[in-house]
This record gives sequence, C-alpha cells and structure tokens, in this order.
Amino acid sequence: MTDLARPPATTPARTHPPTRVRAGRLGAGVAVGVLAAAVAACLLAPLLWPLDQSAVDLARTRLAPSPDHLAGTDDLGRDVALRSLYGLRVSLLVGAVAAGVATVVGGLVGAVAGTLGGRLDRALMRVVDTVAALPHLLLGIFVVAMLRPGLGAVIASIGLTHWLSTARIVRSELLSLRTRPFVDAAISGGASRTRVLTRHLLPHVLPRLALATTLMVPHAVWHETALSFLGLGLPPHLASIGNMINDGQRSLLTGAWWASIVPGLLLVAVTLALAVLTGRWRDRLDPRVRAELHL
Amino acid sequence: MTAATAGRRRLAGAGAVVRRRLLVAVPVLAATSMGMFALGAASPIDPAQQYAGAAVFTTSEENLAQIRANWGVDDPLPVQYARWIGNLLRGDLGWSTSRHEPVTSVLAARAGWTLLLVGTALALVLVASVLLGTLAAYRRGGWFDRALRAAAYAVQSMPVFWIGLAAIAVFALALGWLPAGGLTDITATGTDPADVARHLVLPVTVLAISQAPWFVLFVRDAVAESLRDDHVLAARARGLPGRTVLFGHALRTALLPFLTLVGAHLPELVGGAVLVETVFSLPGLGAVTVAAALGADFPLLAATTLATAVVVLAANLATDLAYAAADPRVRLDD
Amino acid sequence: MAARSLEYVMVKPLPARVTAAAVAALLAVAGCSSPTTSSGGAGDAGTLVVATAGEPDTLNPVLNYGVDGASLIFDGLVARDAGNRLVPALARDLPTVSADGRTVTAKLREGVLFHDGTPLTAQDVVFTYRAVLDPKVDSTLRSDLDMLASVTAPDPATVVFTLKHPYAPFLQRLALGIVPAKAFAGQDVNKAEFNRRPVGTGPYRVTAWTPGDRLVLAAYDRHWGGRPKNPGVVVAFVADDNVRAQRMRAGEFDAAELAPKLATGFDGQGGYRVQRVPTADYRGVMLPMGNPVTGDLAIRRALNTAVDRQAMVTGVLGGAGEPAFGPVPPSSEFAEPSIVGRAAADPAAATATLDAAGWRPGPDGIRARGGRQAAFTLMYPATDSLRKELALAVTADAKKIGIRVTPEGLTWDAITPRMKTDALVMGYGTPYDPDFVSYKLFGSAFAGQGFFNPGSYRSAVADRALQQGRDSADPAVRRAAYATFQQQLAADVPWVFLTYLQHTYVVKDTVAGVTPRVEPHEHDVANSLWWNVHTWTKRP
Repeated sequence: MTDLARPPATTPARTHPPTRVRAGRLGAGVAVGVLAAAVAACLLAPLLWPLDQSAVDLARTRLAPSPDHLAGTDDLGRDVALRSLYGLRVSLLVGAVAAGVATVVGGLVGAVAGTLGGRLDRALMRVVDTVAALPHLLLGIFVVAMLRPGLGAVIASIGLTHWLSTARIVRSELLSLRTRPFVDAAISGGASRTRVLTRHLLPHVLPRLALATTLMVPHAVWHETALSFLGLGLPPHLASIGNMINDGQRSLLTGAWWASIVPGLLLVAVTLALAVLTGRWRDRLDPRVRAELHL
Repeated sequence: MTAATAGRRRLAGAGAVVRRRLLVAVPVLAATSMGMFALGAASPIDPAQQYAGAAVFTTSEENLAQIRANWGVDDPLPVQYARWIGNLLRGDLGWSTSRHEPVTSVLAARAGWTLLLVGTALALVLVASVLLGTLAAYRRGGWFDRALRAAAYAVQSMPVFWIGLAAIAVFALALGWLPAGGLTDITATGTDPADVARHLVLPVTVLAISQAPWFVLFVRDAVAESLRDDHVLAARARGLPGRTVLFGHALRTALLPFLTLVGAHLPELVGGAVLVETVFSLPGLGAVTVAAALGADFPLLAATTLATAVVVLAANLATDLAYAAADPRVRLDD
Repeated sequence: MAARSLEYVMVKPLPARVTAAAVAALLAVAGCSSPTTSSGGAGDAGTLVVATAGEPDTLNPVLNYGVDGASLIFDGLVARDAGNRLVPALARDLPTVSADGRTVTAKLREGVLFHDGTPLTAQDVVFTYRAVLDPKVDSTLRSDLDMLASVTAPDPATVVFTLKHPYAPFLQRLALGIVPAKAFAGQDVNKAEFNRRPVGTGPYRVTAWTPGDRLVLAAYDRHWGGRPKNPGVVVAFVADDNVRAQRMRAGEFDAAELAPKLATGFDGQGGYRVQRVPTADYRGVMLPMGNPVTGDLAIRRALNTAVDRQAMVTGVLGGAGEPAFGPVPPSSEFAEPSIVGRAAADPAAATATLDAAGWRPGPDGIRARGGRQAAFTLMYPATDSLRKELALAVTADAKKIGIRVTPEGLTWDAITPRMKTDALVMGYGTPYDPDFVSYKLFGSAFAGQGFFNPGSYRSAVADRALQQGRDSADPAVRRAAYATFQQQLAADVPWVFLTYLQHTYVVKDTVAGVTPRVEPHEHDVANSLWWNVHTWTKRP
C-alpha cells in the first residue's frame, strides 16, 4: 500500500492558516460557550442535584416538559434533563478515557515505528493496515462480545479501534523530523537516542497528539452510542447518552419526543462545539496531517 | 513524452507488485483468522445456549453438551482451526451455528445486498462530495462554503441510526414518498430492480449523508489548497476561464490523494452499513454479523471479517494502482 | 513544473469511471443472489401480510420450529382450538392412552398429502420423533420428550409411543409438526436443505424464505382441512420495534406484533384495531436460596407484598398485562384463586413482616439484622428492555421498605454462573399444562441445574404435588395437586411473580377472522395471533 503516512516528498508544507472569515469567530465563541456550560454543568450536577440511577417513579411517566421537569420525564418517570446531564458526564468521560487509551496505544506504536524504523517499522505499519482494513464498528462489536458488555468493554472497544490514526501521525511526524537539521545537529552533538526523542522530538509531536486525542473524543462518544443502539453498550439502566437515545426512540413514536431528542441535541451540541474548535486548530496544521486528522 | 506512455511505463511493474501484495496479504489474512479463533476460544459465550434461544430454559445440560459435541466446539483450538483451514482450502467455509446453514450460503444470500448498499452509497457520496467540495473551495469563505461546512460538522455529530429514524419519520411516515424499510414491496414475489431501487433510496441516501462530511471537508480543503498550487496559479495567470482552472486543474490535483483515502475510509462505510441495515431492516450482512458475534459463531464471523478485509485490501490495491498510474511522483516498487 | 502540471491535466477522470464500473458489477452480483421465486399465492389480492420480530432459525419442527403447533406449514398429530383444547389433526381421533399410562396409540387420518403430493404414513411420524431423540441431531426438544422410550409403526396408519413412565400431559407433546421421512433420506438432519425449504402437510406451503426479510407462504389447495380462505401469507421479519411500528403505520402490514406502548399509538385510530392477547408468559424475580438475604423467608415475603404490580402493569406494560401471583396463568383450569393477592403495593404489611423478623432500619434507611444489610443484586438480561424496567421498578419498591437492590444488566453468559447467589428477573410460561415448565423450575431434583430451578428452591410438599400432577391421569387429582403446589409456592416465595404479559398486535380493520387465544412465551411465525390465519380474509 502506498502509505498514507508517508508524505509525498514534494508536498508543499504550509504553515499559515487559511484566511478565515469573521463569522468563524462567532462560531468559535459560541462553541467555547457551549463547551464551558456543558463542562460546568457536568461538574456541578452531582453536587447540586444528586441522582439515584436506579430510581423510577411509575406514577409520573412521560410527563411533558414543565417547570418541575425542564425536559419532561421518560417512560419510567425519570427526569430527562437531569439524566441527560449525567449521561453527558458518562459519555464524555468514557469518550475521553477511551481516546486517551487509543492515544497511548497509537502513540507507542507510532513512536516505536518512527524511531526504530526499518523492518520493525514495516511490520508495524502492516499491522496498522490490516486493522484499518476491518470495519471499526464490527471490530468494536467483537471486542465487546468477547469481554461482555460493560464500561470496561466499551472503553477497550473504542481504544482498540481508534489508535490507528494516532500511530500514523506520530510515525510520520517522527520520520519527517528525523531529517530536520536540528535533529541532525543534536545527534551529531552526541545526544543519546532517548534524549533526542524526549527533548527534541516529543515537544514537536505532542501538540499533534493532543489534537488527535481531542478530535477522537466525539468519535468515541459516537462509538459508544452505536454500541448502545445495538444493545452492547453501557449497562442499560445507567444514564448515558447512547442508552437514553435508545430508550427514548420508542417514545418518539408515541409522542414523548423529549426523551430522546433532548439527550440527542445535547450530544450534537457538545460534539459540534468540540468539532468547531478542533477544526480551527486543525486548520493551522499542514495539510497532510490534516488529511489524517479528518479520521 | 505524453502522460499516457509515462503511465504505461510506470504500470509495467504492476503485475509484480500485485503478486508481491498477494504474498503479503496471505499471511496477514491467516494471522487475522487465527486471531479471530483465539479470541473465540477465550469467549465466555456458549454457542449451544445461543442456539437453543428461549428453549434453553427447558433444555437439559446433557442435551446442550450433546449439541456441543456434535459441533466439535469443545475440541482444542488448534484442532478446530486446522479443521477450518482444511475445509477452507476445499472451498467449504464451514457451518454457521447461528444461522443454521452453510457459511457460503449466508454470504451468497446477503453479501450482494451489503455490497450494493455500500457501493451505491459510495458512488453517491463521491460524486456529491467532489461537486459540493469543489464549489465550496472555489468560493472559500462565501455563504455556500460556510453553510456546507456547518452542515458537515452538524451531520458529523449525529449518529447514523438517528438520521435513519428521522428520514423514516419524514419521508416514509409524514410524506409517504418512500417505503420505510425492507428490500422489496412486502407482497412482491421476486426482486424487481425498480422495486429494489425504490426501497434503497432512503438507506443509500442516509448512509451517504452520514459519511459525506468526511469526504466533503476533505475535497474542500484539498481543492482550496491546490488552488494555490503553482501550476494552478500559472493556469490562472495564463487567463484560462475560472471553471477550467477549477475543474481542469485544481480538482484534478486534489483528487489524487482523495482517491487513496477513499480506500482507507471503506471500513467506516461498512460499519455505517451495519447500522443502516438494522434501521431499514435490510437482509444484508450487518445483522447476521452482529448475531454471529453475540452467538460465538466463529465460522461465520471469521468469514465475514475475512471477506471484508479482502474487499478492503483489494480496493486499496486498486486505488494504489490508479494513483500510481496518475501521479508520476509515486513509484510502485516503493 | 510546467510539464508535471500538463500531466495532471491529461489524467483521465478515473474515479467516476471506476465507481461506475464498480456499481455495475455490484448490481450484477446482487442480481445473481436474488432468490428466484416460483409464482405462488403471494402478490395476489387477498394475500395477508403479518409482521413479527422473531424469525425462526430453521423451519424444521425437529429442530425446534413451532413445536407447540400452529406452525402454518406443518400439522401435528393433534392441534389446539381457540380455547387451547386438544383436537385431532393428523391423528383421526385424539390418541388413546393405555391403563398404565405408558402406551399411547394414534390412528392416522386417511388421505393426508404432503405439499409435494406424497401421502403421509406412520413412518413419517416415527421418523419425526426418532429424529428428535437421535443424539446426533441438534434438537433441544429432546429435553421435553425425555419420557419417551420408543416410537413404532405397527401398520402404515398406526403409531405407538411407549413411555418410560406415566406422563399425564403427554398428548400435549403431540402437536409437534410431522416431517416427511423421504425428504431426509441419506441426509444429515442438522444440515438438510429441508430446514430452509420445508415440505409439510399444513395449510400453507413455503414459496420463498429470505432470512432477515420475509417468509412467503402460499395456500395449499389440497390441505386435509380444506383450502385456506386466503391465497397466501407473507410473514415479514422486522427485528426493531420502532421500525415495525413505523412500517405498520405506513400501511405495509395487515397485522403486526408491537410493544404495548407503541401499540397504544394505534388505539382509537381509524382503520386499525389493537388486540391485547392474554398469555401464560409471566415475569418474576427469582430469589436464590443460596444468598443470605434472599434466602430469608421474611425478606422474600416482604418483597412479595411491597412490589406494586398494578403500577408495573400500567407504567411498564402500558396496560397490556395483569398482575401475576404464581406460575399457572389465570386463564388455566389449574389456576388456584386463593393465591391471588393485592395488585397494589402494601408497604405497611411488608415493613411489619421485616420488623417482626428482626430486620431493623439502619442510619442510611437500609434494614439490617445481625450486622448483615438487607441488600442484594438483581440481574437482568441487558438487551431486554422490559426486564430492565421491571428490575428498576422492583428496586424502587424495595427501597421504600428499606431493602437495597442493586440492578445489574448483564449478558446471559455472565448471568448463568451467578444464578445460585444473585436474584434474576426471569420469565417463561406455557398455557398448555402446569407440568411443562414448573416441574423442572421448582422441583428440588433439578436444584442448581442450569436454568432448571437455578435458585435451588427445595420443598417436599411442592415436589410431591408436582409428581402427583405428572403421574395421575385423573383431572380432579391433578387439579388438587397443582392447587397444593401453588399454595406452597405462595407461602415460600422462591419467586416474586410480577406480571403476566399481554402480547399486543395491531390489525387493520379490513382483516376478518382474527380469533385471539392464550399465547405461550414463544411466538413468532408459529403460535402468534395468526395461529388460524388460514381462516382470515381481507376486504380489498
């Protein structure tokens, strides 16, 4: 395979961001606002409104939104607004942890391949290509089925399917850095391999890695939602966005639209905000990394 | 020299490359299938219980043990794997314990529909994204560009099954334009192409839309980038009309990396197809694969995984060759 | 630079060409695999379309397809009428049982033809039952026929079953569809082509089966019971509840099974009617004796009075159900009325029970006795949203009386090894005979054996009653035995029975002839609302 990660040598590297329109500023401002509000609500929710995950109230099922229940109640009389907040907490946490796992796995593979090179590099990239040839969702389903559905299985499923792009980014970044003058200078100056790696290469790679991880969070959340949709996600009575959309689907047809629309909108709003911000960040990078980061 | 002769010369080594790729692909596929079996052995799921379904509540342990013995699923892993490979070499993909039929007939009955769904959606998304992305890039920062990008980001944030349910609610229920699911009219006796096409409109569109953001954004960025390339600037400086520069020069430059990335994005499309098939109750491979994973049906799971891998590897090879034929900077013996 | 840019211009627009070719190829592949169907009844006006979630894995009765009859494609020796009473089918009269209860003789109806035109003989019946008993055949039905010693055919119109021990409800086991022996000659029953393209004697023959999509059935003109009143039936398989509801609303189906809450959307809507069919399908909480908390009688009794069955019926089942107090459905002639308790919760009685047994509220509101908290885990299968909701309802009710229940959604393989110590939301039930499920579910001989009596309930009284009900052919003796059994269960509370479900179907007003009957747990193509679809008609 012509490696995606191996940049055509003559690709022009542009370091200046494309000129952006003023409206982008507004979008970014809104995005920052949405994210800040979501994070604050998630952090504060357990302090202000504690939630018993298994509490149901069969006398108050499917109430329409009202001052008492801002987003109504679901099939089991649970407050949708509060559960959505908790669901967002869980989903973002799962997304972040899973993205972290994926980054660590991918970063290690990429670093080994990029610094050691040679036969090992080729072998590792072949592994990456093979895994890339399998659909993420199917692989994820398989992992969950092996480990039994649950929090750990979902994180493992996401982590094990989302590390490929990170590995490629880190590797190609390291490969291109190896030819840069300052690295040559450090090596000819007698610096050890570890020192070159940690002092000179790592600082260059880290921002990319951070961006890749952030970009992965929404993906991880979607993966969780898809698994939950198929009944393979988090324990079904636990408030998570995926579970709530799945539960609420049924109410959609019987008129209680709020039970699935509200958590769905919350998910879309937050991931959209994340995407807008990271999109702007990505635009500042050069195009070949951008291609990889589109995921 | 003309591009055509150059292309031919570069492709002269293609046969050897294909042979070499195959040599690499075989161990890769062998390793994948072995990995599948190893995971399967570690699986806590009892296929006999899955097979019994609700009857498991009235089925005795001896009864289940006898069924497991009939299947040989309690044999040591290497024995099972050797048996599977031996049968595979004879063209027998094994017996699906979750579908109760030969794996080959599961694939034969269903793979076509999944391929049709994925193939048409891919074609649609390619055409649409190239068109929309190029237009957006041409008027970068304009209202169309902004609207397209906003829409792309928004769609990217929506789970595909969510889009599917919404599409059913609007186009099948509220407007009544299109059927809500299935492959043909429910009383149809055969598979009339027109009928199938009508039933595939919604699933294909939903799958295409859900995958579109990635393609659209990529084309838009790549075309925008190449609009600043030297040869494009030169073409413009020569006074060629805007449309010629855009589609003749900038788009062609941008399409090359796009081509390669399409192959890389195929697995994602297949994953989306699993969910779309579930929402629209299409008799494709998606639902059986999920059932196979849950039912520890390894012959079927290994076959579908391998089949997908083979398709994707073949698609990658094809795009590589196309890429090499088109781009003088890429050498196949790389 | 200039030369290179020229080359770019010369490149043919590959993607469009490649994808067009690919699509054409794909269409060809898909076209090849499309099922070729002979012209059948389907497609004619009057063909009925019904939709269900459950698709059979195979259409072979030996491999568990429609074992309780009403399988549309096959007939058993006996069948059941609208009141679930046995009536003769392929047997000329109801089979006779010898005085010692160990020999059952069936005389076959004359002139019965399989769909392929061959006549039914006793050899076909013998083959069917021997195949079930054959260890090489992957049939789970063998467990239900473990009393059967042998099947023989003394003449082409007579079948004799010999039992290992007297088994009162044996005739109920003879609804199993009969397959033609000839179709399996020299074949492995497990892998025979027959399993997908079956041949039976039933009112419909199979024209096409596209797994995951539909089963197309055409009326069998030469059926012994007369030609069906409609030209054919299409059974659509739509696994997702919501999709099925949407397609019903879009007018694609004449009848569909829907989740109760989705069915309520069709209530009072012109053109449709909702059928709520009583079942023997119960849900309850199995309380294992191996857990120190659920093993305590006071806790079990308190839970039994603390659960609000009425709220579950209205809140969780959308009204499509009734409170359950025991494993014998109220519609059965064996149901014991004295065990029926209050449908609403009685927290006062529950707390009194706990107080009397020494379970005292702790500082956190959870009761404790001798340093042990009244807390246990309640497992439910994660993919079953009904059981999840019941588990949560039980959790909430238990909390009100100071018992902490921790719900846990798991897969069956994770649940199975824990059933001896952790409570579980379970469900099953058949309307045909109280022996069928209960004998193994509550008999101490089966304690801790997989899904048979997983909580290891042991009661000498219940054992004796269950055995008597099985051995005795006298209906009065059996009724008394099952009354004793139900009373003993109500006293010991090894399960907290919660609700009987009603299966809900939406039917178009244009369909006539629908006759609901009490349904068992398992219902898909067979044994659903359309058990007598051969008598249905449709107005255009």
